[in-house]
Amino acid sequence: MNDKHPSNQPERPSTQIRWRHRLWIALSMLLLVSGWVQAAEESTTLNSITPIGVVQVAGEPLIAKITPDIADGDTAEPIAAPRPSRSDYPNIGVSSRAIVWILAQLHLFFAALVLAVPLFVLMIELLGVYTGDERYDNMAYEFMKISLTGFSITAIFGGSLALALFVLYPDFMGYMMHVFGAQVLVYAIFFFLESFFLYTYYYGWNAFRYGNLKWVHLSLGLMLNASGLTIMVLANSWATFMMAPSGVNEVGAVVGNIWEIMKGPLWNPINLHRFIANIAFGGAVVGAYAAFKFLSTNDPVRRAHYDWMGYTSNFIAILAFLPLPFAGYWLMAEIYAYSQQMGITAMGGILAWLFIVQAVLIGTILLAGNFYLWAGMSRTDGSDRYKGLIKYIAVVLVVCFLIWVTPHTLILSASEISLLGGSHHHILGPLGIMPAKNVAVNLMLVATFLSFQLYRRSDKVATVSWAPMGNALMVAIYVVAIVNIIFLGVYYGYFTNTVYKVGSSVVQVASTLVVIIAGIILDTLMFRNAKTLPSHWGRIPDRAQYALFALPIAFTWLMGLMGYVRSSVKTHWHVYTVMKDNSPDNFIPTIAYAGNMITIVTVLFLLCVLFMFWVANLSSTRQAKPAAGGAV
Amino acid sequence: MQTNDKNSTLSMLISIIVSFAIALTFFYGLDHLVMSMQGLPLNPDLSPAG
Amino acid sequence: MKVLLKTLGFSLALTLLFTFVTYLLPQVEGEAPVEKEVDLSSLTMDDFITLGEDLFNNKGTCTLCHKPAPLGRAPDIQGTDMVTLSDERLADQRYQGEAKDAAGYMLESMLDPSRYVVATWGKKGTNDSESPMPAIDKPPIELSAIEMDAIIAYLQAKDGNDVTVALPSPEDAASVASTDQKASDATALPAPATTVEEALGKYACNACHAMDSSDTLVGPGLVDVGTRLSKEDIRQSIVDPNAVIAEGFAAAMPADFAAKMTVKELDMIVAYLLEKK
Repeated sequence: MNDKHPSNQPERPSTQIRWRHRLWIALSMLLLVSGWVQAAEESTTLNSITPIGVVQVAGEPLIAKITPDIADGDTAEPIAAPRPSRSDYPNIGVSSRAIVWILAQLHLFFAALVLAVPLFVLMIELLGVYTGDERYDNMAYEFMKISLTGFSITAIFGGSLALALFVLYPDFMGYMMHVFGAQVLVYAIFFFLESFFLYTYYYGWNAFRYGNLKWVHLSLGLMLNASGLTIMVLANSWATFMMAPSGVNEVGAVVGNIWEIMKGPLWNPINLHRFIANIAFGGAVVGAYAAFKFLSTNDPVRRAHYDWMGYTSNFIAILAFLPLPFAGYWLMAEIYAYSQQMGITAMGGILAWLFIVQAVLIGTILLAGNFYLWAGMSRTDGSDRYKGLIKYIAVVLVVCFLIWVTPHTLILSASEISLLGGSHHHILGPLGIMPAKNVAVNLMLVATFLSFQLYRRSDKVATVSWAPMGNALMVAIYVVAIVNIIFLGVYYGYFTNTVYKVGSSVVQVASTLVVIIAGIILDTLMFRNAKTLPSHWGRIPDRAQYALFALPIAFTWLMGLMGYVRSSVKTHWHVYTVMKDNSPDNFIPTIAYAGNMITIVTVLFLLCVLFMFWVANLSSTRQAKPAAGGAV
Repeated sequence: MQTNDKNSTLSMLISIIVSFAIALTFFYGLDHLVMSMQGLPLNPDLSPAG
Repeated sequence: MKVLLKTLGFSLALTLLFTFVTYLLPQVEGEAPVEKEVDLSSLTMDDFITLGEDLFNNKGTCTLCHKPAPLGRAPDIQGTDMVTLSDERLADQRYQGEAKDAAGYMLESMLDPSRYVVATWGKKGTNDSESPMPAIDKPPIELSAIEMDAIIAYLQAKDGNDVTVALPSPEDAASVASTDQKASDATALPAPATTVEEALGKYACNACHAMDSSDTLVGPGLVDVGTRLSKEDIRQSIVDPNAVIAEGFAAAMPADFAAKMTVKELDMIVAYLLEKK
């Protein structure tokens, strides 16, 4: 993100200060990462031991610590999951599921937003410290300002959701409280911690702005993120417990400690997936704010500022979005490993149709992101060199998009087959199966990265002596990677067996990743000390800003959709295989019903976000004092 | 002047050939590596082995 | 204000476009399985077969995986004569199970799918020793014995074979009901044992098995069981005692330990027995 701005060059900090910076970064990364690594490490060791049963026999310290407490109480017997009958669910006249659906989704939208914003705000603030460019600091502060109300809104929806769940699903919530017990209190404590760090971080921004105090401020931001992330992973464990319960026996009686209950097979895949998706989502939402401000003013200085802010937001959103399919792949693979039946319910059964909608949404996101990058090239004078390529990228994107939305091979019921006129579409059949889609998706990602790379190059001229060689290598990597992706998809997908077909999709993903990584490394080396061409912030067509509205709308809808799929793969279970759902809403609704629900939550979210932005702008508006003594 | 052009064309050609050679070797190796990591070995002509 | 209206309009239009896409797709509801009341007194074999077909397609979720060749994740069943195929499987030298006839083979495949894994259909990396299929009598599918019989009847009848499973009698139904009753009693389980001695006592293992000699009480002595059986075998002998019965013994061991024992207890006992060498 070290774009050249028409601003003054940063002063080079002294070696001592640089060391301090590095130390601080190393420490904070360590803090952030260590939790994850530890979780991953512990889970691998436990996984390799559990099947032999050593963990239990040796008397794991945690069990020993917790078991006596429970044994001392009256409830010495492990309690199985309740089996409520339909009459045990309160009937309030409207669908309980719809109420919980709306509240949960709104809570999740805002939670995602307020978790993501402090994360990249901290990054931008750090960037400001590094470059000494105050505009980063100001922008980071502005991001914080516009999302501040979001924290309260998150809490309000969270509270309403909990209330609704306790009232509408009392047996289920009773069981969840029984299983998670004191963990919920830990959650509450972290909630208070987060509030504390949030307010000190935000209101202390200008008080702790320079020198050593800035490091205090950055540390506050780090703690804010740490508590926020902890809250997220704690809450994720509830969702993953419902999908793939662990730490309980076949009838749902608790047999493990809280750690065993939390670290189910899907916990870390969900943690990673949500973490990345939150960043993309947060970036997209604040991008819409910048776009709105850009369109509402004619002042060139303000337009330049909001253009830059919009660009940065889009950069964050797209950059976080690119690795998301891979995290999704991991999650899906873990779901299959946990229960093949659950995996097929999601990908091949009734829910599979939703992945066509997903393709439309992701296609929208990629096209909008690319369009914004292309339009943004008009900011620089050096972009003419690359403009010829845009039309080819556009063609690739559109063709791949169409292949992608070609209906899947599905496990069809008789009624579905009659609707489609056969289990395969008679003309598009060969394009509708997974290998073709894998090729399409990977090529779309490669094309998007190409757009991104061209945009980044458009204001620079390489001065290193090996630049022609570097360019040749980059071209070669693109060409060979694209050929490889197509070859893998066609050869293994259509001419070998299923196992190789599935295996080859991993290589396709690896090829895409190689392009991205090689592109970043090569460009970093090649454009060291590059000559920069002038770029003009604010010189971008108005219509490009609509891409910045399309992104958050598509992201919001996509989150609503995938959240619905994630929750629905449990089918008629509250807690999969352990606690059955006997409520009147225990069926999977039609796609159109789900679509309506998702649209309702998206629109509600949109309105809440508007409110949030409006409140943020109030603070910088001051009513003119009425003229004293004038005729009233 | 002419020799200079010739030289630069030649060196351009060489760098393109070398680049493609590197990329092809790399991705060929990547196919073998990632497939065999999943327990799916390949023959030298990339057809499934075994 | 004009900008606000324009951007809001754009956002709403896009949202409605996405909603519209969902209207283009087939509208299907996924019903949760409904408990069906079957009147056993008037049940005919045809009804029973129809019930089996319904279970196969719906509650049993068999068709999620068992589909014709390019679609399926498991061998095709509806397009194959399962009786003929079962006989072939029983004759296969890889077959290690207990079943003696086609019906027995089909039942065994549902209860313990890993017993015989059709070549190339095993879990990846297990060399066809482990099946990806869940046990059909366990959650999340949880078919009852009668329901599994109905499926077998359907699989036999669909290709014109004789149905060898018997219609459920009212007594069977009563016994099914009583196990259901037991299952719901299990909501209040006794406290899990914390040591292996407690666990052995709780399940009264030494009532039938001598732990420190090879003498036969009711079942075989277990002093050297760790040399005779692998971990998996021991585990199976407890969870599913009638799967493999030691030579010269009757099937006398209770078959409900799988439902009674906690995972921890089972692991403790298995580890304890494995040490007996």
